[in-house]
Amino acid sequence: MTAVEVTHARSSERNGVMARTAVNYPFTAIVGQDEMKLCLLLNVIDPRIGGVMIMGHRGTGKSTAVRALADVLPMLTRVKGDPFNRSPEEVLLDEPNAAKAAANGSAQSAKLKTERIPVPVVDLPLGATEDRVCGTIDIEAALTQGVKRFEPGLLARANRGFLYIDEVNLLDDHLVDVLLDVAASGWNVVEREGISVRHPARFVLVGSGNPEEGELRPQLLDRFGLHARITTITDVAQRMEIVRRRRAFDADPQAFVAAWEPQQKALRRRITAAQKHVADVEMPDDALMFAAELCMRLGIDGHRGELTLARAACALAAFEGRRCAAREDVKRVALPALRHRLRRDPLETTDAGERIERALAELEART
Amino acid sequence: MLTFADIVGLDTAKQALLLLAVNPALAGVTFAATVGSGKSTLARAFAALLPDDAPFVELPVNVTEDRLLGGLDLEATLASGTRVIERGLLARAHGGVLYVDGLNLLDHSVMAYLIEVMTRGAVHVEREGLSAVHPARFVLVGTYDPSDGEVPRGLLDRIGLIVPFALQTDADLRAEVVRRNHLRRRSDAAGCLSEAASDEVHMLRAMIADARARLSQVHIQDEQVEALIHASLSLGVEGNRADVFAVQAALAKAALDGRNSVDDDDLRLALRLVLLPRATRLPEADDRRKTEDDAASLPNRSNQNHEGQEASNEALQTQPEQIEELLLSAASAELPKDVLNLPFAVQRRGRSGGRGATLNSQRGRFVRAVEGAPQGNRIALLQTLMAAAPWQAVRRREARDGQSSRAIPHAAPRVCIRKEDLRVKRFRDKAGMLYIFAVDASGSMAINRMREAKGAAIRLLQDAYVHRDQVALVAFRGRRAQVLLQPSQSVERAKRELDVLPTGGGTPLASALLTAWQLARQARGRGIPQATLVLMTDGRANVGLEGSDSDRSDAQLPPSDPRSQKAQLQAELQRLAALLRADGMQTIVIDTQANYLSRGEASKLAEWLGGRYVYLPNARAEQITKVLT
Repeated sequence: MTAVEVTHARSSERNGVMARTAVNYPFTAIVGQDEMKLCLLLNVIDPRIGGVMIMGHRGTGKSTAVRALADVLPMLTRVKGDPFNRSPEEVLLDEPNAAKAAANGSAQSAKLKTERIPVPVVDLPLGATEDRVCGTIDIEAALTQGVKRFEPGLLARANRGFLYIDEVNLLDDHLVDVLLDVAASGWNVVEREGISVRHPARFVLVGSGNPEEGELRPQLLDRFGLHARITTITDVAQRMEIVRRRRAFDADPQAFVAAWEPQQKALRRRITAAQKHVADVEMPDDALMFAAELCMRLGIDGHRGELTLARAACALAAFEGRRCAAREDVKRVALPALRHRLRRDPLETTDAGERIERALAELEART
Repeated sequence: MLTFADIVGLDTAKQALLLLAVNPALAGVTFAATVGSGKSTLARAFAALLPDDAPFVELPVNVTEDRLLGGLDLEATLASGTRVIERGLLARAHGGVLYVDGLNLLDHSVMAYLIEVMTRGAVHVEREGLSAVHPARFVLVGTYDPSDGEVPRGLLDRIGLIVPFALQTDADLRAEVVRRNHLRRRSDAAGCLSEAASDEVHMLRAMIADARARLSQVHIQDEQVEALIHASLSLGVEGNRADVFAVQAALAKAALDGRNSVDDDDLRLALRLVLLPRATRLPEADDRRKTEDDAASLPNRSNQNHEGQEASNEALQTQPEQIEELLLSAASAELPKDVLNLPFAVQRRGRSGGRGATLNSQRGRFVRAVEGAPQGNRIALLQTLMAAAPWQAVRRREARDGQSSRAIPHAAPRVCIRKEDLRVKRFRDKAGMLYIFAVDASGSMAINRMREAKGAAIRLLQDAYVHRDQVALVAFRGRRAQVLLQPSQSVERAKRELDVLPTGGGTPLASALLTAWQLARQARGRGIPQATLVLMTDGRANVGLEGSDSDRSDAQLPPSDPRSQKAQLQAELQRLAALLRADGMQTIVIDTQANYLSRGEASKLAEWLGGRYVYLPNARAEQITKVLT
């Protein structure tokens, strides 16, 4: 951080308002669509997996699931009122001046006041302009007080949380460029209107869209760790359950949410436990080899494929309370981890999913 | 003013609107109607049926982003020196009705915002230095003229009730429209709503209020829900949202009829207004035969309704499949015979529209602000204020000094803005190019031509994601040209919809040119200014426009002399080519005729069209894309 003053009040105030007014459909009450739900949860457990892109039919609950995720996320600790949601350690690292001031102050232990807030899930609306995404000069302060002050944008709000873009394939190209830059570096650099600011912006990027609305740029697709595909549920019993729950929710959201609270609580506990243990999950050579061979067989360039496979497999093991990720875990995450990394052939009609299934079967048969 | 009951015709649309008034969970109603059929009048009359405090907001199709979503309130911001946000149209419709006339003419980005806001029930403003969340729960009433093209599926999917288009041709009805209109004018002139009319409005309002109160008590059986789901499955309805809409529609219908339980009629209506319009396929072949048989016996069934009532109620409780069958049979009369007429399968073709919105430099996406005069431009307020900000202290001092010397005291303005601070908005139109592939699907080599054209179209799309280009594919064979792929950016859709490529038959080249011209017109209405026609043919037309339109039986019969017939075909082509040329269509004619057979028809056609001529007898997809880029 450079020594530019930052506008605090507005963004934190709004966070509060949003949390109070929105009643989300409970995550645990979503029927079916297991791949999508698993992909989201794996990213919660290990954000290094690199986000998830959800593509599928209209009306299949994509955005419902992402917005519901907010309610099962654990809390995080940040410096009180920090517009970038930083932990005390990060603030001290970023701002040597603050550290010095704290050290010189009465509290010898350099303690900054902290608070617990829900992990932010920030929506990026389609019509957002670049200045609101990245942040810009606080025009009010400039006009009325003659002060040059930085007003943080959505990227600041999303730090250490989730950034969600619905209809990501309709997002304007120049915003996509900005997002790619920030997602790659983890830092948002603002140089505009005489403001020069650099702040952390590490977030899990979640996108959703309908492939029929338009193609997604390949560069953007590659950025997502996982790629979930969802289709219309065709099981009649499941669909009846969807209608039943949806009607119950619409009729009385509060009561519905209350009824599902035990399941929500259980999931929250599971996530917290998995987060704690994921770093200790081991992956034996056999499983690593399997992941590498799978990527080779599919002709996937680079190493991002293997890395994502390994991380997702470990997160899955942690979620299920195991300390060891096996070949079976790799197989279970192979589809979402690899389907967007296969080479694109314009006239290829075989579905990417089928190609991965086939490669998996071949590998199995060989060993 | 005409009241709801005054409007003659559009009966299904009226029924749908009543259901929507009873149950806002249906999200919206859309209906197609031609110009002058009273669609706007109906929408306004609908507003009069709603509670007094419900807003009715009309969304013009050329709405700008800041008017739609909200932006800086210029006056208030300048007066106070702090940012004041003005709610956009979507937020203003909260708790009421948003009316769009010309749903199919909405700009691509406006459509995307509308869908987003309908999904969230709120407008999230993150633009021009503003950040706010405005609640925006409204029901959408959208009308469109089918001759201007289709309503995109993404939006249709969010709208609960879709009223199928029906022409109003009955002469008696037409006379009735005129008569009522005339009467109403007279009573309006007298300065009051006639007693009878206001009674009608009161009655309808009371009915709606009663139904709304009843809605939460209406019961639907599990078997009935299951039947709707079965129907939706066998019609290939995409997603699970339609199931919920169908149930809500049935509930609303029961409530409106003053019943506490859903019956067959309610289910049938839900099927008609929710599921059928979303069908992507017709029920299985044997299903269909069965349903047609049932349809034939339907009159009998209704005759024996009295004794049949109980029996069918019993069936309801046991066999959802039976209800489904019943439903589909009732609907089979309405099922289009041709799957091409289902909007959610392949979108229907439209006729040329007279109402294409022209491209406007004030539309599109606001990309940056530049110095400039406000005349004819839109002021970028935020950037103007930013430019002025550093000078405020100096200018205030100047203003104070100037005041004291002139000794005419007046309050110094909060913000001093001078001409040199002014910044105006520059817009970039997202529009790309529309590539129309028109492929000769007649004759023996057609299969190859079609495959390569498909490959080229898909390649182009994959390269075009940055340019926002779109691709359409027209095949011409037999009597007329057919749009196989409506303008689209989606590789996936192109692959899916070009899965089956019909070939064989005559060569209706003229119809292909006309179709391409129509597509270009419609695209222009949606803000895609430029179209390129890629015509793959040997140029040997043998079916004229008469052949492409069977309705024109009254047109003069083609002369029997084959030579003059050919001359006539040529003259027709020449006329159409001139039309395309005058409209600014770029053309590339790809001659696929084997060398020794060529008589130069294709190159002549290219000349008429003022386009490029390329000779590629075995055109491959790569070659075609190379020619284009």
